[in-house]
Amino acid sequence: MSAGKARFFLQAKWTGARSKMSRQQQTFLGNGPEMKVSIGKLELKNPVMLASGTCGYGPELADVLDLTNIGAIVVKGISMEPRAGNPPPRIAETPCGLLNAIGLENVGVEAFISSKLPWLHERNITTIVNILGNSVGEYQALAARLNKCPGIHALEVNISCPNVKEGGVAFGTDPEQAAKVAGAVVQACDLPVIVKLSPNVSDICSIARAVEDAGASAVSLINTILGMAIDIQKKTPVLGNVFGGLSGPAIKPVALRMVWQAARCVDIPVIGVGGITSASDALEFFMAGACAVQVGTATLVDPGAAGRVLQGIVDFMQENHYQSLKELRIGP
Amino acid sequence: MPGRFDISSRIVSQKEIAPDTFLLRLYAPEIAENAVPGQFVMVRPGLEEERDPLLRRPFSVHRADPDAQQIEILYRVVGRGTRMIARKQAGSHLQVLGPLGRGFSLPKGKIPILVGGGLGTAPLLFLADVLEEKRAVVVLGAVTRSQLLRLQDFSSTGLEVLVATEDGSLGNRGLVTEVLDRLLGRLEKDARKNVVVFSCGPMPMMRAVAGLCGNYSVECQVSLETAMACGLGLCLGCAVCSDTGAFLHVCRQGPVFPAGQVDWSKI
Repeated sequence: MSAGKARFFLQAKWTGARSKMSRQQQTFLGNGPEMKVSIGKLELKNPVMLASGTCGYGPELADVLDLTNIGAIVVKGISMEPRAGNPPPRIAETPCGLLNAIGLENVGVEAFISSKLPWLHERNITTIVNILGNSVGEYQALAARLNKCPGIHALEVNISCPNVKEGGVAFGTDPEQAAKVAGAVVQACDLPVIVKLSPNVSDICSIARAVEDAGASAVSLINTILGMAIDIQKKTPVLGNVFGGLSGPAIKPVALRMVWQAARCVDIPVIGVGGITSASDALEFFMAGACAVQVGTATLVDPGAAGRVLQGIVDFMQENHYQSLKELRIGP
Repeated sequence: MPGRFDISSRIVSQKEIAPDTFLLRLYAPEIAENAVPGQFVMVRPGLEEERDPLLRRPFSVHRADPDAQQIEILYRVVGRGTRMIARKQAGSHLQVLGPLGRGFSLPKGKIPILVGGGLGTAPLLFLADVLEEKRAVVVLGAVTRSQLLRLQDFSSTGLEVLVATEDGSLGNRGLVTEVLDRLLGRLEKDARKNVVVFSCGPMPMMRAVAGLCGNYSVECQVSLETAMACGLGLCLGCAVCSDTGAFLHVCRQGPVFPAGQVDWSKI
């Protein structure tokens, strides 16, 4: 752990107050255990977010999950131009997991701003936009374009998608490249910048430190783990793209280990992602050092999962007399 | 998309009506009231705390009975998830999300021909139930007689039912598409404009049905099946190629599509 560790908790500001409200009210109005968390200058009402690529642009989930109760929604990755995505089949179920090779199908930044963002903005939903480019210049242009758009609260820079040929993970596996992208985005906007890291690296700390030094407000990890499945009857890979990204409960131990490592080598907040399905999963991530979590594949299975995770965290903290999330962290 | 419900649904009954083929009846008031033919539900095979198999399974609504507040699902055991569902007894519960997707659209004044192969009859009985046009014709096909599903129930709707089996054990010997070919071939050119074909079945069958309808210039809607993770349009996993080269998403834009929208060469 680095000497500057205490700064993590200063940046992730926690305040506390209690009152005699219902458990539901306590959770959502910020009473009971302190659930607020800060990422750069962005304050989230609670630490549970919806992970990019598993929650659409919001309306897809609106009638089965109250998005205003969630810490933030991280919308499907956006590129400058619309992308059609990869040829099918795009998904395959594996034990406790899901392989996907969607290929970042998205509407493009202009359509996002004109037709997707207003819906989120009108409802005051805390919105983090996941961005993806083929070049440092494209990341920079995306950040500049989204910078002054009302309703965007932060950017998450995707340098870790395993399913596209250019960009994506190519920037996420080399500390120098990762820092270039992060620095360019930070320069191009006034928004807090989260960098989403790939697990497909041998040294997560060097990447995390590189983007921290480049000015990132936080890191989120992990993106999916590169994998594949083969249909033995057809003697062919299951996915049209051959390889895909593995998500779901199967990857949680890997994600937890990498969050533990990252939380001990950077001072910026670490957001835990990877296989979180229940409150106990999320609590493991807080104990490993995460200041917030993202619920991803679980939402695909159970659209209300994030709300259940949030409530379960509050229940656990109350039952075990934790006043704040930072108290959950193990050791240094 | 309004009117979707995620409910813990009590199993009213579950019967094996053919080898490995089950008819499941669920108490699901919200879904029974809101579903239209062609829509589907996502069913979780295990309990909430179980993580394997991970995903819910998509099933067409086979029948909806708003008065009894129940729906029926017709399915075949094809893997671990469906095997788990098949083991559930009446009185136990399943988590069910729905109704989902876009169903069949019924053009006013057109005479429907329902073409189902094998388990593709699943969404068609619900459609047959609600059709007001009693001149509609149902064409059902299977490899052999024992695999013709719900024949009696289709007949009970009062619609004309034609049958084809590949081994000739019941009805016409051959494929459903041969029966459809004869039906459409008998129609005058003008009369074809007043016909609409609704089809569900194995992909090769639907491709052939779509081809026939194209040749005869008859409107055709097909209900597609793909691997699917969420059923809600979140993951974009259920893509199929469209005639324009763009991708269609079966869960939200479908599962029912105009046959002409689908690029059949890539399915």
